[in-house]
Amino acid sequence: MTTTAKPTLAPRRHVANTVSNWVDRNLKWIFTAPAIAFVALLIIFPIGYTVFLSLTDSASSVTRPFDFIGFDNYAYWLTDVTRFWPAVGRTAYFTAVALTLELGFGLAIALLLRKTFRGQSIVRVFILLPLVATPVAVGMMWLLIFEPTIGFANVLMKSLGLPAQLWLSGKESALNTIIFIDVWQWTPMIILILLAGLSTIPEEPEEAALVDGANAWQRFRHVTLPLLMPTLGAAAILRSIDAMKTFDIIYATKGRNGGSNNEAETLNMLAYNESFGNSQYGSAAALLMLFLTFIIIILAVLAILRKKGTRV
Amino acid sequence: MIALGAGMTACAPAGGDSSADVTELTLIAANSPWTKGLETLAVDYEEETGVKVNLEFYGNEQLNDTLKVKLNAQSSDFDIYAYQVQDVMREFSRNGWLADMTDYVSSDPEWDWDDFQSSARDAVTLDGVVYGVPVMTERHVMYYRSDLLEQAGIPVPTTLDELAAAAAKLNNPDNGFYGIAMRGAKVPLVTQFSSFLYSYGGDFQDEDGNATVDTPEAIEAYEFYGKLLKDYGPPGATNMGWPEASAIFAQGNAAFYLDADSQAYTFLDPANSAVVDTVAYGSFPAGPAGSHPYSIVPQTVGINEFSKKKDAAWEFIKWVTNEENSKKLLSEATVPVARDSAWADDEATSGFPAGLVEIVRSSEGTVGHDRPQLEQVALAREIVGAPAVVAIEGGNVSDSAKQAQTDFQKLLDGEK
Amino acid sequence: MSAITHSSVQSVARTRRRRGKSVVGPTFRTIAIVFVVLLFIAPLAWMLLAAFKTNLDIVTPSRTFDFTPTLGNFETVFGAQNFLPFILNSLIVGFGSTVVALILGVPAAYGIARYTIRNATAFVLLARVIPGVSLLIPWYFLFSQVQLVGTYTVLILTHIFVTMPLVVAIMTGFFEGLPNELEEAAQIDGCGKVEAFIRVVLPLSLPGLATSAILSFIFSWNNFLFALVLSNQSTRTLPVAISNFTSYASVDWGGLMAAAVIITIPVMLVALFAQKYVISGLTAGATKG
Repeated sequence: MTTTAKPTLAPRRHVANTVSNWVDRNLKWIFTAPAIAFVALLIIFPIGYTVFLSLTDSASSVTRPFDFIGFDNYAYWLTDVTRFWPAVGRTAYFTAVALTLELGFGLAIALLLRKTFRGQSIVRVFILLPLVATPVAVGMMWLLIFEPTIGFANVLMKSLGLPAQLWLSGKESALNTIIFIDVWQWTPMIILILLAGLSTIPEEPEEAALVDGANAWQRFRHVTLPLLMPTLGAAAILRSIDAMKTFDIIYATKGRNGGSNNEAETLNMLAYNESFGNSQYGSAAALLMLFLTFIIIILAVLAILRKKGTRV
Repeated sequence: MIALGAGMTACAPAGGDSSADVTELTLIAANSPWTKGLETLAVDYEEETGVKVNLEFYGNEQLNDTLKVKLNAQSSDFDIYAYQVQDVMREFSRNGWLADMTDYVSSDPEWDWDDFQSSARDAVTLDGVVYGVPVMTERHVMYYRSDLLEQAGIPVPTTLDELAAAAAKLNNPDNGFYGIAMRGAKVPLVTQFSSFLYSYGGDFQDEDGNATVDTPEAIEAYEFYGKLLKDYGPPGATNMGWPEASAIFAQGNAAFYLDADSQAYTFLDPANSAVVDTVAYGSFPAGPAGSHPYSIVPQTVGINEFSKKKDAAWEFIKWVTNEENSKKLLSEATVPVARDSAWADDEATSGFPAGLVEIVRSSEGTVGHDRPQLEQVALAREIVGAPAVVAIEGGNVSDSAKQAQTDFQKLLDGEK
Repeated sequence: MSAITHSSVQSVARTRRRRGKSVVGPTFRTIAIVFVVLLFIAPLAWMLLAAFKTNLDIVTPSRTFDFTPTLGNFETVFGAQNFLPFILNSLIVGFGSTVVALILGVPAAYGIARYTIRNATAFVLLARVIPGVSLLIPWYFLFSQVQLVGTYTVLILTHIFVTMPLVVAIMTGFFEGLPNELEEAAQIDGCGKVEAFIRVVLPLSLPGLATSAILSFIFSWNNFLFALVLSNQSTRTLPVAISNFTSYASVDWGGLMAAAVIITIPVMLVALFAQKYVISGLTAGATKG
């Protein structure tokens, strides 16, 4: 594999080989550099700018005169118990519940669809549909379906002999209803990623387990699941990032401030409202930085869990 | 990409005053009856003058976001924009995002600035500077079901107490029928609550601009608004903006609907409405202090301060708002324009529902704003809308109003 | 080395065929699959019905199933709203950003997975983590300086920003799950690492590539925020155009639902095509062996 191992090659082959060896040795960077450069190019200025704004009291227009106020914006949010901390709580609750349900259902359905059957590709496309439908339109669709007076959901409840619900309109039920919508919309993504992951898992170990007399659960727990862990981890990380940043459906169903009692206001909604609703660019920037920190902490926790999970 | 770059440099003479060279203008606006009418007018304008006007339309909220991004970056990509006066004019003008149009509007006596309704002219003027030309007007009216009132022998309510009594009588929640539908969501309801507030003798602010949302009149108005929706309104009212509330009325499941007159057409279209033949319009009912509905300018057309073609932009605005085109917009596109001459013309108003024309012509007692007047309108709406939500939910209104008063005053002080 | 790959693929295919017939109770499984499918498509069926209704019928629950269908909404979408150019714009941006995201993202994912460069993953994921709101004003400012606002280039660039981290995350997980021995065997056979990657790893990664491509396309297709401020009338994409149905005094629910149905169709086709591609890829691999 190294140059010294092939001393008998002709000179031209040798040159090609040196290049190829150089490529091989630096593959790590040749493969990753373009992607990293691309992200860096688009992200450095915005992040720098956001950090800068977060230390100012810029409001109304970023070109208006403003003062540097140090970490006042951060202090303001961290001591705000009316909007900030409830939003943190809602974001955490929403993400944890939605992610758990989506991973659970996603895994179950992926296993159900794993083995080939007739109409497989059609079924997979059907299952993808919630993901495909435009979020803005989907939000409005659910708004109508869950409308307590004119919506179909309560018609269905009544025909099943169940009491009518306030769904999205209720102070307590709104966030859970949005979680329901989120689970409906995003479980398909988990299914799709897990199906791809399952396709790489060789079935020999499983067969061996079968020969050993392991039952279905044992086989899944000790053979399939550990092998699926990297894919499951990737899906969990992707989904948790997006769940924390959920915007379209909350915006479409509850409006800019997450409802009359802010009952569905998550951090992303709060930051959006502070920026585009209230034009408080300085404090919105601080909020965005806090939000970013929050996401990174969660991701770090997930990454650690994932590492442990792979080792098991 | 290359063509665009070349175009931009070619169209950017220093000072931007040679309107003769301009061949293209860009106008961005939120969808409204006015933008509908504009589509044909822009074609006429190109034929007449050779200047092509590119139109970009958005939803109301999307326009807000787009404008904020573009104007923060001092974009000259567009020349003319329509905006919601009540929401953004203070903020945008102080940001230097709106061109001063004072000289333009007084430059041509034939175009006649004075023909615009005086309240509309006031609305677009701030500290003596004109920031736009009003293109639409809007009033608070009472939509009601004439058939149901007749059947029940109820006369058309002229006071708010009569309205409450009529709503109580017709309310039948067990059958999914409600006395009244109105906005109940915190931020959207503020504008529709305003007429109740004025008719109870209150306002959001006094003459000096200080907060007055915890006065006895204001608390009574909050309580009344909340009671209407709590006792005679549909369930889940606190999640309703106009689309949800008007859908319930259009579907025939509410006896009354109080909102802007600009929605009248929704109820007259059989594809949208089950109440085409039974909907009627009444003036806003009188409260203890009389009937004082808002009458506002929802859409105004202004010039982007960063535009390099301001004179050409003005030429187009002047043309599209002249008397002839205003009448055309009123009669053909049913745009409630702001020119007195258009409303005085029976031919031009013939396309309008008769009841509404009367309401527009008699503007007595109306108030020229429908929300708090300050820069940070969005924040203020959240604050002053909260007591109404508390009222709808049956909570302690006076505590909530006191809290709103404190927060609102703090916000106002911050802007001084 | 080629023996290893082919025999393993073959055995996967063989066990699949066998298991499908004997081990699993086929009726129970069929019922479960049908149930799951219904659960996911029921709300969209409601949407499909709504696309053929008048606005009044949409807000009248008693007419959920009992209504006179109308094509009026579709006429609005293609007539008054003229959606065709928007569909085209979305297709251009969606394909463009997906292809570039794959070209940039797949090798990166491979590098990350094989050399465990944790920092690189974190950095690329940062693009996904950062809230879009904080990017809008700086980006608009930057892109208007180079006069790119309103062009396809800028839309594709910003959408890659959305889709590439997705590709990297999915493919990293996928490559980590792929046994290392395959490339090692290929290298013993005399392939360079790049060659091994192209000849051995990529063909085996078809399911992962298809999944990344589908999701990447969908995310680009549905992106709203970036297209809202960076497109203009002629490059406007579908999610932005959807807001045309919220007019000043009414919401055209029917038109909105019809537009949503139409928007869904191209993505469905893409998904179907990609699925078929994966499945035929697998079968081809199996028969070759």
